[in-house]
Amino acid sequence: MPARLASYLSEVDADGRTATVAAYRPIIGGYSRLMARADVEWSDGSSESIILRGDPPPGKALMETDRDLEWSLLRALRGAVRMPAPRHYDADGSHLGTKCIVLDCVDGPSLQAVLVSLPATDDGAPDYRRHSQDLVDTMAALHAVDTSVVAGVLDQPDDWDEYLGRLIDRFRQADTGHVEAVPFLRYVAAWLDAHRPPPLPLRLVHSDFQTSNIVVDGDGAHHLVDWELTHIGDPREDLGYYNVYSSALGPNLFAADPKGFLARYRRQTGFSEEAVNPETMAYFSSLAAVTVYAQVLGGAAAMARGANSGLMTTYTINALTVGHSNFMSACSAPELVA
Amino acid sequence: MLSRPTTEQVLLDCRAELLATIEPAVADGPAKVAVQMLENVLRNCAARAAHEVAWMHEEGAAMIAFVERVVTGPLGTPEVDAALAAYEAGRSDSRHLDDACATYDLAGRAFSVAVEAVMTGEGALADELHRAGRDLLELRLAHEQQIMGEWAFVGRA
Repeated sequence: MPARLASYLSEVDADGRTATVAAYRPIIGGYSRLMARADVEWSDGSSESIILRGDPPPGKALMETDRDLEWSLLRALRGAVRMPAPRHYDADGSHLGTKCIVLDCVDGPSLQAVLVSLPATDDGAPDYRRHSQDLVDTMAALHAVDTSVVAGVLDQPDDWDEYLGRLIDRFRQADTGHVEAVPFLRYVAAWLDAHRPPPLPLRLVHSDFQTSNIVVDGDGAHHLVDWELTHIGDPREDLGYYNVYSSALGPNLFAADPKGFLARYRRQTGFSEEAVNPETMAYFSSLAAVTVYAQVLGGAAAMARGANSGLMTTYTINALTVGHSNFMSACSAPELVA
Repeated sequence: MLSRPTTEQVLLDCRAELLATIEPAVADGPAKVAVQMLENVLRNCAARAAHEVAWMHEEGAAMIAFVERVVTGPLGTPEVDAALAAYEAGRSDSRHLDDACATYDLAGRAFSVAVEAVMTGEGALADELHRAGRDLLELRLAHEQQIMGEWAFVGRA
């Protein structure tokens, strides 16, 4: 791979330089795409690190997403969102062996790594407050992006009610398309339909908003990565998804101070308390999970049909159970009348 | 056939060997993550091997009893009738795993549409059936969680 990468970088370099790949190592922890970091030395004496983000071999992907779309999205978002800049795209895999996006490397740990390395305070627990505020600000900044920057790249739904109905219907579609019945899905769809929250303006939704997808640079600034599921939708999807995900991979900064977390988000976005509160958070904690849930369920179905294999798919089937637990928590039963 | 040691015991023994012999010898990051995932999958498989046929039978019978309550009451719909008929036509008492899965699937599909029909209803009966349906979903979830055991996103950071 280092030789192929060096050849590719030399070919696409705008300044006509020649590249040498001094080091190449896979990045562990990415579940959906193949990720690697390469240290590159250029013929003009400069050096840098870059990130490669490519598709797994056919039949080995945990989830199927579109690299062409992701590349277009990254280019459209350049300058609108703080993220590693997209550099090159091997659109047909003829150079790098698979469809692969080359990105700038932001030096720094993920926010998840930062959080788990925080020392305990005198109270016995780490002090997450500053990081919680930074996380909210990052999310709010994303939700403030003018969606016209992705016009022509992402679908632009214009009616909230219709959009929400389509999102809820994805539970039913997931059930219909799966290789066996998953009764949670129609139950949660019916419940969500009957308990719709007040609407909000449709905004850019990252859809995998969690601390492993935030790189923290040397100045403490957040850079969002992993945009493969991004769409225009209800911004509370990111709030809910963050809550669900961080309940499985803590710490959950929302759960540490729910009122403070939501109050800051409302201040930063201007959204009302009627629309953003613990109840709507719980609602979207269930609803937002469907995007990733449906992908994981699709991987399990493909494996059952013999069209997919691999440890990642098998291992991640457990995440479906986490999803079912969240669905049940969010959907309340009618109260008993004495 | 030889039934003992059980499949559960064999898989858990493989898992123990993986952890005691192989995992300490693996230094490479991606390979170490794969070993940790394999450990988890072996535990999942052991739990399933021990209980899955019994659990599918238990859940399936309870789901069909629920569907029959819905069909015979005012909340029944043609879709629920059709799903129950499909179950009756396709069900099997075979204990072979594929057959048990197929019967469980038919019961689950009938239950899904019955729960959906109940959720659109109103009144005391709808509420009572809603709670009864939830109880069955909670039973299924408890079984899934027993299979899942301790699980986290290995390697995520």
